Amino acid sequence: MHSDFIQMRSIVKVFQPATVALDGVSVDINQGEIHSVIGENGAGKSTLMKVLYGMVAPDSGEIYFKGQKVNFSSPRDAVKAGIGMIHQELMLIPSYTIWENVVLGAEPANRLGRLESKEARAQVQALVDEYDLGLSIDERVADVSVGARQKVEILKLLYRDIDTLIMDEPTAVLTPQEIRELFRWVSQAKAAGRTIIFISHKLAEVLEISDRITVMRRGKTITTVENKGLDKSFLARAMVGRDVVFSVSKPPQEPGQTILAAENLHYTDADGQKKLDGVSLKVRRGEIVGLAGVEGNGQFELVQALVGLIQPQQGSIKLKGQEIVPLPISKRRELMSYVPQDRKSWGSAQPLSLQENVIMTHHMTNTALQGRLRWMLSRRKTRQLANTIKEEFEVVVPNIDVPFFALSGGNQQRAIVGREFMLDNDLVILDQPTRGLDVASIEYIQERTLQKRADGQGILLISTDLDELFSLSDRILVMYRGQIVADLRPEETSPEEIGEYMLLGAKGGDNE
Amino acid sequence: MRHRRVILFSLFGVVIAVTVGLLLLWALGYSALEGYAYLLEYSLLSRTALFSTLSRAALLVLLGLSASTAFASGALNLGQSGQFLIGAMAATVFGLFVNLPAFLQIPLSLAVAALAGMLYASIAAFFRRRFNMNELIVTLMLNFVADYFTQFLIAGPLFEEGRQSPASPAINASGWFPVYKGFDTGILVALLAFILIYLLWNRSKTGYEWTIMGQNSIFSRIGGCPNEENFTKAMLVSGALAALAGALVIMGGIQHRFMPGIKANYADDGIMIAIVANNKVVATAIYAIMFAIMRTGAMGMELETGVPLEFVHVLTAITVLFVVASREYSQYLIDRFSAFLRARRISSRIEDYAGRDSSGSMD
Repeated sequence: MHSDFIQMRSIVKVFQPATVALDGVSVDINQGEIHSVIGENGAGKSTLMKVLYGMVAPDSGEIYFKGQKVNFSSPRDAVKAGIGMIHQELMLIPSYTIWENVVLGAEPANRLGRLESKEARAQVQALVDEYDLGLSIDERVADVSVGARQKVEILKLLYRDIDTLIMDEPTAVLTPQEIRELFRWVSQAKAAGRTIIFISHKLAEVLEISDRITVMRRGKTITTVENKGLDKSFLARAMVGRDVVFSVSKPPQEPGQTILAAENLHYTDADGQKKLDGVSLKVRRGEIVGLAGVEGNGQFELVQALVGLIQPQQGSIKLKGQEIVPLPISKRRELMSYVPQDRKSWGSAQPLSLQENVIMTHHMTNTALQGRLRWMLSRRKTRQLANTIKEEFEVVVPNIDVPFFALSGGNQQRAIVGREFMLDNDLVILDQPTRGLDVASIEYIQERTLQKRADGQGILLISTDLDELFSLSDRILVMYRGQIVADLRPEETSPEEIGEYMLLGAKGGDNE
Repeated sequence: MRHRRVILFSLFGVVIAVTVGLLLLWALGYSALEGYAYLLEYSLLSRTALFSTLSRAALLVLLGLSASTAFASGALNLGQSGQFLIGAMAATVFGLFVNLPAFLQIPLSLAVAALAGMLYASIAAFFRRRFNMNELIVTLMLNFVADYFTQFLIAGPLFEEGRQSPASPAINASGWFPVYKGFDTGILVALLAFILIYLLWNRSKTGYEWTIMGQNSIFSRIGGCPNEENFTKAMLVSGALAALAGALVIMGGIQHRFMPGIKANYADDGIMIAIVANNKVVATAIYAIMFAIMRTGAMGMELETGVPLEFVHVLTAITVLFVVASREYSQYLIDRFSAFLRARRISSRIEDYAGRDSSGSMD
């Protein structure tokens, strides 16, 4: 085990115009270890690794690899040296088969430049067998699960003979079962002498697999520690800089009348894919209904159908007893609050000011904002509303005229959640409300959500974060291939059970 | 603070453009400063000059607002020239066949022209909403239709017997804008339109929804705004403004008749002004006036110093280039430079730290 395998020294990176991503970061990686880099969103973990991988050019600092000073100007150089990276967003061509994706860019060719497909395929198959990855390499990537796609990314790196592997939040999109399998594979790769750098913010996982852990906070390395006798609260404190409450308190509460009742929704998209296959669900007053599922199993279409962005071919949606399927979005938005999953392109207009972003929908539903004439908007009153939302939801900005893009992710989401919660509707749809946020904002938004529940409003919460679903929900529904396959109480189930439903649509795989 | 920055960059662009113009004139062997002096003299420094600049500015304000209203709300109306011609033709037809007292004739004539422009723009809006056809292409094509259709009318049904070249007869005098000591009251129409459009953009619900739709139409849709209606509204307002400019040409000035070539380059200038002004209402008016000064003064410059009229086209092109480019690029340069400075400060701090503490421990 070499201790001077990878050394990064005083790395500085400032993104335009003045975001200090890396503020003089130094870290050592030993050969053959599983080294986790943890930190909150925005702490600089991914940037640091992109610098090592040659994707981001540092402003200053040095990198030594096996004792040699290196300066990778592109990922290609890094791969040549044996360093590979798997990104958060997988980079695969959906219409190609698995083996084609694996060899793409490093195809074996004969002297005339013709692809030796038989040979390439055989090589890929050999790797799949050797590492027991359980992939059938002739399937198209579009047809396989997210977990399998991640394995294809791993396979790509094995094929290129990578011995140092950087994985950027690989577990974020996986079910508990898939995470098990990934960890099994990671240990196996370590046993074979490979070095793994694992970027994460999930403390339990990090504690489980790492040899050493580097904690980053606001672009700095706080500490690097051996993973011996550590616990979650120690890491959390190092990561956030203060003590962290791990679970919000959810007082028991009897739900009231039904607010939302969807019956037998069917939706087939323009490509002929059946996205909703007879979905029925109920949300009652004072109840948080969690919706779990591997992404792409119809959750998104369900939300769109509720909001009115798509028209289900069959079924009914009743909101407070009123049928809303024939209603346009504008009418529906008078009755429901909605926090979309993509806050940048769906939830806001980034170049416009905070004020312009937070009065959306209020400008139609809140008649008090009218000016002297009905078609006007009062400047004074809209500014007042924007200031109220800013104060009430602790959006940290100097004033409400700041352009939205200048706000941090956490502040943007507070503003969006603030806007929607201030609409004061009885139904709230939250689609991934805390994804990618800092710990403080996550805590804050979860608390406000529970407050909405205490106020007697009905909440539909879609999340890929099972911890969040377990700590907030009164019931957890699982979607699988356009159907709701489970309706469980969090006290009576486990993440593993939910995971099974997410992956197989049934417990123990007795579906089909 | 951002507003001040934007204004600063725009001024910077104008100053650079004027300087480049000076250098260019000097390199061509003209007396550069003198040329500029005449340009100002013949556009601002006498009553006739000032009023004729204002008349031209009125047209450019209307056409500039037409383009910026469309662009800023995300409706790509490039049909200003067609809507201008249709508006002019509507005012002509109304002025030929209706004869009411002036206090009725003038507003009605304007209303008819605006309505015609709206109708013409609504064709593209309809095709967009019904068949999802790109309004940019439809409006561009309709420009040709308007051009040939109006040419046909003045050569055929509306041709004034006895003329050598195609032109309509003059409209009834009750529809002429009164002229007070050289001041064409048509200018007031542009002023009124400017105030209305300013209120629409800055004080109304529709203006707010246009702003959001222009930046992110998915966001406004999810927020519950009626995007399709708002798109149509933007097209209609845009069409009406361009058509009003057409009516102004017929009802103002001295000819009072539809003649070939009346559209000149107004429509293209309007689009250019909107682009330079970044589709902002007040900036559109300011640039419209600036362009009018250059266009009007150019004749004086040619007369006195022999600098060809076309030089002003070069100058406006340079202005557009520098203003637009400096808006985008100087921001980028400043951002890059400040990032660089920040990084250097951090690195030097780290070096100091390492120098003082040779063991090199970081925490």
